[in-house]
Amino acid sequence: MIVNTYSKRIFNMAYQFTGTYEEAEDMTQDIFMKLYTSLTKYDFEKNFSAWLLTLAKNYLIDEYRRTKWEKKSRDNFNEHYLPSEAFESPEYGILKEETKKIIWEGINQLSSEVRMTVILRDIQGKKYEEIAEIMSLPLGTIKSRVNRGRLQLAKILKEKKERKNEM
Amino acid sequence: MKCENIEELLSAYLEDDLSPEEKRTVEKHLKTCQSCNDLLSFIEETNKSLADFPQLEVSENLLDRLYSIPSRKKKLKVSFDFLLRPSLQPIFAAATILMIMISFYLFHPDRNTINKTINRQVHLGYSKIERLYANAESFTGHLGAYKDKILVSLKNMKLLGGNEDQKVKT
Repeated sequence: MIVNTYSKRIFNMAYQFTGTYEEAEDMTQDIFMKLYTSLTKYDFEKNFSAWLLTLAKNYLIDEYRRTKWEKKSRDNFNEHYLPSEAFESPEYGILKEETKKIIWEGINQLSSEVRMTVILRDIQGKKYEEIAEIMSLPLGTIKSRVNRGRLQLAKILKEKKERKNEM
Repeated sequence: MKCENIEELLSAYLEDDLSPEEKRTVEKHLKTCQSCNDLLSFIEETNKSLADFPQLEVSENLLDRLYSIPSRKKKLKVSFDFLLRPSLQPIFAAATILMIMISFYLFHPDRNTINKTINRQVHLGYSKIERLYANAESFTGHLGAYKDKILVSLKNMKLLGGNEDQKVKT
């Protein structure tokens, strides 16, 4: 069943993109409603997973532009993400969690297209070729967006950590 | 090469996605630039951190909402199917014509003339019916008058044992 197979993937993609749990739930429901009405347009020769992710990506980016999400704040990182288990040392675990929090909040500063590309590549672990199919863009553009997104996040991380060390 | 240009290549350098020439340029720059070395470490840390983001489970509430979508759609489709049944098409066509006629009557600028014409036609029809009714009454009267004569003629028929020569009393 479609819900069992894809709900987790779509919900996580929506949550990573929007940063707010309730909105991600509403968006997931809207995406599935859109999916049921668009199923007649699905070309059976195409990869269903990529087709669904394209639909989800289009919906999320359109909503982002319509409602100006970038001005909204994201959920507190620990509100829904539980701390990872089993670190080599407690200090290392705290540092790692701190980095994740900075990155989580930094995602809000990426443009919608760069944000989506980074989510698909680095959080969801998709191949560049798959992302190019989902985003309907050339491979070079995807790689360039991923590089730009990583660089932007790394600079945010560097700035926050350096400022913290100065204090 | 300037740091800004090298920065653009660092992510691809980590993924070993540079041409041999670009790779040599980046490595040469990194040997002398601490700032770019730091940034390279932060990009690496960012990548690891992003890859380590956990995937959340979908809540029961959301799952219920998602499962209810197809049935809701189906119910809606059934009601539409009922309305779109071909057998209802003549009724819809007749209703449309009736609506057009009613709106033509209601919104016609010369509505009073239409009312007068309708009244005249109704009266004409009514008087025609009255005439028909009067004709039917006189025909019944004539039939009544002839009824007795017909009965006497039947009694006097030879076939029924009567006397045909007996005249009908008038």
